[in-house]
Amino acid sequence: MANSNPSLDGVFHALADPTRRAVLARLGQGPATVKELGQPFRMALPSFMKHLTVLEDSGLIATQKVGRVRTCRIKPRRLAAAEAWLVEQRTLWEERTDRMVRFVEEQHASEQHALEQHGKEQTK
Amino acid sequence: MNDTSNDLSISRTIRAPRAVVWKAWTTPEHLQKWWCPKPWTTQIRGFDLRPGGSFDTLMRGPDGEESSNPGVFLEVVPQERLVFTSALVAGWRPGTPWLSMTAIILMEDEGEHTKYTARVLHKDEEDRRRHEEMGFYDGWGTCIEQLGELAAELAR
Repeated sequence: MANSNPSLDGVFHALADPTRRAVLARLGQGPATVKELGQPFRMALPSFMKHLTVLEDSGLIATQKVGRVRTCRIKPRRLAAAEAWLVEQRTLWEERTDRMVRFVEEQHASEQHALEQHGKEQTK
Repeated sequence: MNDTSNDLSISRTIRAPRAVVWKAWTTPEHLQKWWCPKPWTTQIRGFDLRPGGSFDTLMRGPDGEESSNPGVFLEVVPQERLVFTSALVAGWRPGTPWLSMTAIILMEDEGEHTKYTARVLHKDEEDRRRHEEMGFYDGWGTCIEQLGELAAELAR
């Protein structure tokens, strides 16, 4: 995106991932600890922390460590600054593209499988 | 000068050849399976795959919400490039879209896989003002609500 606002690119990059969108949705209900946020996801803590770093770098969330507990909260202004309608379109197209990719890859895998089965029948 | 600040560019590597990607895009029965998120459904009202041909979708929500998106194909290069817009409708007639956009879909070989890019071009000020007038720009309440719905969708 030439000429585009670099800080918006960071927001869009942050929104481009389903895990990060889910984290934002959860934080929309209120602050949460890293442990609470990570629970729904089947991934190792270091991988999950990387997602949180992307969100923090984009300015969408802030984190604060008290003792051994790190708490995250959302920064609404940052998201509002990103033009709600454009964020909606971005989210729509990212999601749409993900669904299309899943559909195509499943379609391709089942076609390949059918071909292999056919090949086996032929050599019998 | 063209303002590109409202352009979106979305890329993916798809583990399938271009022919399969093209088919998923240009077969209406396939397209309607992935075009909008569940529980919304897509009705393809027009799909005339040629420059000037109708591309018209109607999306319906679970509570009877409807989003009508009439448009037209501008360019059709099989397995390579598909361009459509909401600014015009079938036969090049000017449309009155709620959101004026042009989408450029590109498919390239990447070994045995496909590099897929969707570029979505929007106008700048005019559309933004219209959205603000419509109450779209009510900060980020709408946004997080949608993200919440998305998260619920992903968890399903």
